[in-house]
Amino acid sequence: MGGQTGFGPVPVGEDGEPAFAADWEARVYALAAVLRQRGLFNSDELRDAIERLPPGQYLGASYYERWLGAIETLADEKGLA
Amino acid sequence: MTSHEGHHEDHADVPVAVRARRLEERLIAAGQATDAELDAYLSQLYANASPVNGARMAARAWTDPAYRELLLADGNAAAAELGFTGLSYQLRVVANGADRHNVIVCTLCSCYPVSLLGPSPGWYKSFAYRSRTVREPRAVLAEFGLVLPAETEVTVWDSTSEARYMVLPARPAGTSGLSGDELAALVSRNGLIGTALV
Amino acid sequence: MTYQPGAVVRVRNTDPDHHTRMPRYVRGHTGEVVAVLGSWVLPDDNARGMARARVETCYAVRFSAADLWGSGTHMVTVDLWESYLDQP
Repeated sequence: MGGQTGFGPVPVGEDGEPAFAADWEARVYALAAVLRQRGLFNSDELRDAIERLPPGQYLGASYYERWLGAIETLADEKGLA
Repeated sequence: MTSHEGHHEDHADVPVAVRARRLEERLIAAGQATDAELDAYLSQLYANASPVNGARMAARAWTDPAYRELLLADGNAAAAELGFTGLSYQLRVVANGADRHNVIVCTLCSCYPVSLLGPSPGWYKSFAYRSRTVREPRAVLAEFGLVLPAETEVTVWDSTSEARYMVLPARPAGTSGLSGDELAALVSRNGLIGTALV
Repeated sequence: MTYQPGAVVRVRNTDPDHHTRMPRYVRGHTGEVVAVLGSWVLPDDNARGMARARVETCYAVRFSAADLWGSGTHMVTVDLWESYLDQP
């Protein structure tokens, strides 16, 4: 989305804010890493799954919520669970 | 309460933390991951991934010209020399100077050298930062309180491949008496991304 | 490796319906190679789980803001896989 307009100010925030706003975010991050390490999907498949989220979900979801949606998609498509 | 397990839950009704835990449980039950693996991954992330790593590299480059040369030519070798081996990416380091300033972004997603800078800040992952930095970097930097002189040449690096970028900030004036540790303490995570001078 | 630092290259003007790491904002634009990077699996292939995904050299290519946006004095460097590029 380089150059796309309309997104407003950057949420600069305070330095020292935690890496993850909630425990579930850290778990989703770890889940993606572990599943990638196990070879169940690769980084490009994960990014592709994020990009394939319906636009409303993509724009309305928080960052790690998009990762969650993507892992759910890949889990379904690859029959992982 | 009836619940529809699996693919077709109405996500709007389910708190995201619950959704995340359900997915995790499904995958663990299917043998695709274990709690121990997830815990171990996060433990090592918290223990090892930090901007003090990048700061150490910058401080060393400020005092050792040969290291600076290595850092700019072969970031992975320079990282390894300080004990940061096995990086999963090609590290590219770009140097700020009196008349030039670099800033890093990933417009396509949020690629970032996590092992050397720690997990990325929320603003780095925001649509606003991703979309605006390549188009109006000075305005974005001003939102961080960094106003660059008009004569400063600004370069934005979009991390679109398997290379990851880090900025080597310019050494601040008046620091000639400081030790390596003291110099490293001057380097902020934002300085290593380019949204601060140092 | 086809391009050396200093080479002038043009980004292909395609709009694939699959995942790609060719940002829209550089498509069709001309830039200068500033560095030859490593060789990696083409994301377009990798995202589709292709068994024989292509491995290609990546290049850091610098564009001027004036060219990309019609205004601005800064430069933007983007890392691009070889098949994203053409000679102008």
